[in-house]
Amino acid sequence: MLALIAALIGTLRNVGLLDSERLVRAARNLAIFAAGLFPPDPSTLPTLGAAMIETIQIAFAGTAIGFALALPLALLACPVLFGPSITGSVKLLLAVVRTVPALFWAIVFVVAVGFGPAAGTLAIALYSLGYLGKLLYETFEGVDPEVVEAVRSVGCSRAQLARYVLLPEAANGILALLLFMFEYNVRASSIMGFVGAGGIGFYLLGYIQLLRYDLLLSGLLLTLAVVIVIDRVSALVRRMFLIPVTSPAPAE
Amino acid sequence: MTADRPPALEASDLWFSYSAGRPVLRGVSLTAEARQITMVLGVSGSGKTTLLKLCKGLLGPQRGTVRVLGGPVVAARRSRLDPCVAYIPQHLGLVRNLGVLDNVLTGALGRVAQLPSLLRRLPTAELRRAQELLERLGIGHKADEKVYALSGGERQRVAIGRALMQEPRLLLADEFVSQLDVLTSRDILAIVRGIADEGVAVVVATHEMELVDRYADAVIVLRDGEKVLDRRGQAESIAAIALALRQ
Repeated sequence: MLALIAALIGTLRNVGLLDSERLVRAARNLAIFAAGLFPPDPSTLPTLGAAMIETIQIAFAGTAIGFALALPLALLACPVLFGPSITGSVKLLLAVVRTVPALFWAIVFVVAVGFGPAAGTLAIALYSLGYLGKLLYETFEGVDPEVVEAVRSVGCSRAQLARYVLLPEAANGILALLLFMFEYNVRASSIMGFVGAGGIGFYLLGYIQLLRYDLLLSGLLLTLAVVIVIDRVSALVRRMFLIPVTSPAPAE
Repeated sequence: MTADRPPALEASDLWFSYSAGRPVLRGVSLTAEARQITMVLGVSGSGKTTLLKLCKGLLGPQRGTVRVLGGPVVAARRSRLDPCVAYIPQHLGLVRNLGVLDNVLTGALGRVAQLPSLLRRLPTAELRRAQELLERLGIGHKADEKVYALSGGERQRVAIGRALMQEPRLLLADEFVSQLDVLTSRDILAIVRGIADEGVAVVVATHEMELVDRYADAVIVLRDGEKVLDRRGQAESIAAIALALRQ
């Protein structure tokens, strides 16, 4: 325990968080920043609104493309269906994709397809592929092995096993993952504009550079409102589609 | 067994261990004939489930052979298994997110065309047969319900329906009535008796003595992975079986 505390203190010193002079300066700067945020200036809300819609579109299309690519790869990474050489290769590929941050993918696609939401969408798609691929194959691996064995016993093929066991049994998890990824991607898409890949981030970065923190706060509040709405809608969708995790007691 | 017809199941000298040096089955042999219910008795951990999985080909023995209808059973981790051997695991292995009818229809997957089945387009004849099986099992009116909404006894019937959908020659059932009350267990075993009477060889793993007396045509008793009793016919007394279990 003492070693852990010592390690933490050492780390804090190395990253500069035990430098009292710097901390005082930071507090002063934060106060100036906070004062500049209020009151929020709503004058650019129409522009921000249009950019927010673009942000949601980037997140939606990116999540959909990422899922479409991740699902078959996750099945290929499933040990119930394929041997270690295939599952290992696919897991390695997904790990490589996942290592690259979304913003870096955005830079890559800005170079490839130019500025705008197309680059952001492709960046979000690839980022989603890495994470959804991993989370999906872990969901498939979590399917009750007894159910897999029972249906394998009927003499079905691997594709049929995926279609009739893995996908239905993992349906709850897949839906939850998709909703989570979409929510996450709305936030991630809001900074795609920092590198010219579309969405509200372009404006947010501009307001920071112009020291217009009041406009920045308007943009952040709009993002927050959208995230809350998406969160509510996700909760509604979950309630509508997800089946209970535990079965009701047998009514003999 | 007749000279020209091999037994439905013939397992010889089966050895199996999940970890080196700790065999859970030690030289177990088992024969099951058509029209008979063979009960495999043993306390938890005696090797009953492993024996059934070896017979199905879900596991491969380290030593020994399994033959079904005269042909060798080859264990396969990912390739297709023989649909003429049906297997009902202890907790039934039903797909929770599928309906009752769909669960039964999975029993036909071994013989239907692959591509249409992936689009969930199964032949009308298979749909009709699944519906008939559900009617016969007394749950025809539950065809569209999700299995998680069924009672324990109804779920057993769905699992039996899926097994029958395979048109099996051998049915392996692993303690599949252990969680039911006595009356429901008897109902289910009566259904199994009917299946055996139609020419199917049935092997039921159980630890419930009272089912043996009523339904078993043959009994083997496992203890610590070894067969300690193997009797045909109903001559064997419950007392002798109990003794074999406890010794």
